[in-house]
Amino acid sequence: MFARISYAFRETIASFRRNVTLSAAAILTSAVSLLLVGTTFLIQRAFDNLLVQWRGDVGMIVFVRPDVSEEQLSFIKQTLEAQPNVINVKKLDYLDRAASFEEAKRVFAGDRTTLSLLSVETIPSQFKVVPLTTDPNLVRGLADQYRNLPGVQGVALAEDEFEVISTMSDFVRAVTIAMSLILLAVAVTLIWNTIRTAMVARRNEIEVMKLVGATNWFIRIPFILEGLVQGIFGAIVSCGGLWTLNRTWTSGVAGFKPGTGVSSLVVPGSYVSGVMIILLMVGALAGGIGSGIAASKFLDV
Amino acid sequence: MIRFENVTKMYGSDVAAVREASFDVPKGEFVFLVGPSGSGKSTLLRLMNRQERPERGIVWVAGANINELADSRIPYLRRGMGNVFQDYKLLMNKTVFENVAFSLQVIGRPKHVIRQQVPQVLELVGLADKEDRFPSQLSGGEQQRVSIARAFVNRPLILLADEPTGNLDPGTGEEIMSLLDAINRTGTTVVMATHDHRVVNAMRRRVIQLDRGLVVRDQERGVYE
Repeated sequence: MFARISYAFRETIASFRRNVTLSAAAILTSAVSLLLVGTTFLIQRAFDNLLVQWRGDVGMIVFVRPDVSEEQLSFIKQTLEAQPNVINVKKLDYLDRAASFEEAKRVFAGDRTTLSLLSVETIPSQFKVVPLTTDPNLVRGLADQYRNLPGVQGVALAEDEFEVISTMSDFVRAVTIAMSLILLAVAVTLIWNTIRTAMVARRNEIEVMKLVGATNWFIRIPFILEGLVQGIFGAIVSCGGLWTLNRTWTSGVAGFKPGTGVSSLVVPGSYVSGVMIILLMVGALAGGIGSGIAASKFLDV
Repeated sequence: MIRFENVTKMYGSDVAAVREASFDVPKGEFVFLVGPSGSGKSTLLRLMNRQERPERGIVWVAGANINELADSRIPYLRRGMGNVFQDYKLLMNKTVFENVAFSLQVIGRPKHVIRQQVPQVLELVGLADKEDRFPSQLSGGEQQRVSIARAFVNRPLILLADEPTGNLDPGTGEEIMSLLDAINRTGTTVVMATHDHRVVNAMRRRVIQLDRGLVVRDQERGVYE
């Protein structure tokens, strides 16, 4: 068993050396496509930060002053619940100050100045309101009504805040996903071609192996490993690129004025690490699929 | 050891490479397959090691109907056979030792077995002092000896040789034939396709003659006609 494993690894390394130019091209293409896949994840996460307040069809947020009294809070709640024909009362959600602070950490992820000014004590709590109507004038009328309630600090409308961003997010998501898929297919094809070329170049060797009684899997495994390694190397390069990209972006965002909303677009390092693990898995999978198909299809050389 | 029962092999729908071939090759026999180019000699060898499957008839090897052998079992059938080719099919980037060791390596033989068996077989074929040379540094006859060593290192029951003297001068061809004869005397069944009348006439072994895919002669201690 050990002899076979060591043979497979030796052959993989030897084949890698023989096809160094093609292997480098396959690695580079995988890296570029995986970098785009990773960037898609980061862009998505950045937009999610921006839109986190408005998840679940929330159309209006009623911000409540931090120093609101129990009576005022309960009056606001009753007023909201008294409109079951216009507001989805079941989905009415109250975020207390602690929950609002957690949410603010994402909204102001890259805006340290604003974040330093906020605390659980000073942040307004909020009611997330899901309107039943699609009539913007009716929602706007409601907002004006709530704005004047005692204890209310302000009312924000989804229509004013995020619709452009939401549309842009959908568009960017569609474009980046499509490009990632196309480039991934290119990477798989290039790995497939590299392995096919390696197999054709070694057709005499493969013929001799088959005639002396090597099993198909014994012949295939070094080639599949080669593709797998190309995919993983491509993923490692893309992880480096993604880390650099995110670092540059984060420091760039820090230069924007607080309150512009751009600060929400910062993605935390822990999330980037998670994306890197996904990229390594996708890279290995792409390499394995490309080389696996080639190693099965071109065994009869 | 090998038995053909009414075997027909077609290439395409109208070209019959082998037609209704029937014969037995007992264990330990030396058989020449003779006939002009395109008569079906190589196809018969390829049917014996399951590189080809017949359209009709049955090929038996060591008691097994190899037409019905699952693809996954073919490597194990071939481990009991050695193959020698006219063009040697040596791996030019490997040394003599590595070429011979290769056939043991790919079937997972441990290193200590390889270190023991390869020098023995190189001694047998007279290349013990050239194990570190590359094929390009050897003569045609020496390359064919390496090819025979590679085919025999696993001590196969059957050795299939396709025109092994085809690229060699008569003197070197005789040396190769002596080697195949010596291997046959160890009990290995040898089936050799050739159109070299000198070696057939000199050896006087069983001859199966083919003509356009048909077995037209099967003669004990025959000659090339």
